[in-house]
Amino acid sequence: MDSRLLECSVRGVYLAFLQKNKFFVCAVAATIVLTGMTFGNLPGPATQTGVQVVNGVVYNFADYPALNHEQLGIFNYLDHLVVDQSYGSWDGWYAENFHGLLHYILAFLTYISSGMFETTPGYRTDYYREFAWGLLQRMNTSESEWNDTSIEYLEWNHPDYKYNQYWYPNAESPNVTVDVYTGGFRGPANIMWTGHYGLMEALYERNFNTGETFNELTWFINDWNNSLTTDGRGNPQAGGIWKIGLIPCEPYIAFVNCNSIPMFATYLYDDMYATDFQHIWDYGLNFSNKVAQDEYGLFANGYYVQQPLGYQQPTQGAEQPFPGNAIDRQSGDGSPSVSGYIEAWALMFLEPIQSNETIHDYPIFLDVYGRDISGDRFCILGNYRHPETYGVTDMLANFYAMPLANQRGDLVTGQRIRNFLYSNFNKIWSADGRRMWYDATSLIPFLQAPLSAAWLWGTTPKVIRDLFDARPTEFWDYPYISHANDSSIWVYQATWDSTKSAFILNVGVDQTATLSFSNFGHQPKAYAGGALYQDLTLAISGEYALTLTPGTYQIVII
Amino acid sequence: MTESETQEAKEVVATSKPSRSSRLYVQSGPLLAWTIIYSILGAVIFALASLIPMPFVMAWLFRFGIVPATAVIAVAGAIRGPVAGFLTGYLGTLIYDMISAGVVVTMTVPAAAWGILGLIVGLTRYDFTKGRSLAKLSVMSVVAYVVALVILLLIGLRVEIYPTLAAMVFFLVPMLTAGIPSVFLLSPIYARAWYIFTVKARPSQLVP
Repeated sequence: MDSRLLECSVRGVYLAFLQKNKFFVCAVAATIVLTGMTFGNLPGPATQTGVQVVNGVVYNFADYPALNHEQLGIFNYLDHLVVDQSYGSWDGWYAENFHGLLHYILAFLTYISSGMFETTPGYRTDYYREFAWGLLQRMNTSESEWNDTSIEYLEWNHPDYKYNQYWYPNAESPNVTVDVYTGGFRGPANIMWTGHYGLMEALYERNFNTGETFNELTWFINDWNNSLTTDGRGNPQAGGIWKIGLIPCEPYIAFVNCNSIPMFATYLYDDMYATDFQHIWDYGLNFSNKVAQDEYGLFANGYYVQQPLGYQQPTQGAEQPFPGNAIDRQSGDGSPSVSGYIEAWALMFLEPIQSNETIHDYPIFLDVYGRDISGDRFCILGNYRHPETYGVTDMLANFYAMPLANQRGDLVTGQRIRNFLYSNFNKIWSADGRRMWYDATSLIPFLQAPLSAAWLWGTTPKVIRDLFDARPTEFWDYPYISHANDSSIWVYQATWDSTKSAFILNVGVDQTATLSFSNFGHQPKAYAGGALYQDLTLAISGEYALTLTPGTYQIVII
Repeated sequence: MTESETQEAKEVVATSKPSRSSRLYVQSGPLLAWTIIYSILGAVIFALASLIPMPFVMAWLFRFGIVPATAVIAVAGAIRGPVAGFLTGYLGTLIYDMISAGVVVTMTVPAAAWGILGLIVGLTRYDFTKGRSLAKLSVMSVVAYVVALVILLLIGLRVEIYPTLAAMVFFLVPMLTAGIPSVFLLSPIYARAWYIFTVKARPSQLVP
């Protein structure tokens, strides 16, 4: 057949097909275009692991805790917010209308990143330490130095808050010989700052062991001891100043979750410095478990120790008793106020202290506060008495429920909550491919940093419970990465295996980078794929250096 | 299969006008058996497709992207009638929920809502060789999808009792914006693909 005739014939067949299948062809074309235009937000790559045999010893990388690329990308984003601007600058935090919550983000970033640090405990360069230090410095920004961009102003002295000096019990016209001054920004009345600041300091020492915060932390521990075991003047008194064994904030209402933070800090302090302060919380723990409860045996949303200044009773329904559990003002029946985020937070931080309570209460919490959106999606309510409302506190309830589920080993519920929350936000990577965050600017910009950090919290293998004990003394003698070209590497695994006397390193390298190791007592050798890869070189500083070209490495250093 | 048999099968599909009752495909033992086989196959394909993470892009509350699984239910209904469509959606959702989370949600009522999607699409008959009929399938799939979502929303607000705002922001709006284009575009593609496959592999199945 003539080639032109054949060509015409083929073209005719195609045209006939197109004419007969217009709708089908259009549907295929539109599907391809739509898929191409919406190609994003797929799950990130899993961290590669493998098995290596070096000198007859088996090293299975899957046996060691690991971070993944997205988790490290989110950390880099948070690090950018914390470290890459002065401590009084808040560009990218979008907290203009949420100034009273900013210090909570700083505190929880410390707890979240501590779980990350614990996952790769052999990676302790200044990169991680400066992040933790930056959070501490931001938390402690004073009004005298940073004016109205300081946390002291934003959290305590802001005009939104009518009172910033407190006495107990006579708040309005105190008699200095009878009433106790419970302080200002750094005093007991501000446990919602002091508790967090204390735990941030305790975790800083736990993670980096520098001794820089020991004196200040000790001052807070002694102050809590005075508040909880005496009348405030040093005379022993059961239940402390407020006779409930807890420290109120706002300042005449005590929250179990707020107190769970200094409780955790006190227990950790005891473990790090061989002291015995933890019993100062016994009364308060008992009070939390027996009195500050709702009808399901879950923690209530606040207990009033006395009537706050300027308090207005509800115009209808039951009156608020003083002292007594805060009532739900909308219900009108006097039932306790409840909160999903307070419950999840308290259950998580109190688990290492009273694990039986958390183990018992967790399924009740899911049952009461949880809602099935679908088989693969689950949400936590901010307030089960009013499930119809939804706002920032409801989002917070989900933020706290994710790491709680993770800590309880309930990975399915954690995943279902993540499916619910994160399916509505785009993942954004910075142009240099180093930072990742969830874009919340179209909904509530303030939630962007918390949303991104909560992902990290909900997925990091090491949980709050893992931070409860001090590291063993010998830990500080283990080999670790002390210096590195941090901006060129991705450290997925970095752990000293003390039983096999080997350093497990799983790292991605963007540009040629050097990692320096301290605490090796001999010249170490790096093995990859079971074969000798490199002899580490001795530097003048006494560290041993490993130089890596771009790529991904699973290395055993012996 | 010979060319003449293939042509014969195509003609059967193109010209057949069965009665309304025959659309159920349960009138005899063999028909019922095949309907059940189709339902189970459809349910398994739906569950497996649901397990695959799909790309998407959010623009404010609107979610854009292709959701391949949902159209499987619609096409099961279009191929084998309302019973198969319902069972595909219902069983498929149950299988997916059990595999992905190990849960049964709200006494399987939401699964039934997905079944209704397949049921509605299966109520009418389609000729997969004709563009007009494929367009009808697209429209019916969208209608059925919206009905299923409304039922799911009512279950959420009235039975599960979760926040209205969360239902709108995190469920209804994103599901609508991602789901409607998906069922509209993918249902005719799946249907045509099934037709081509069946003509070549098992033309007897084309006989209603």
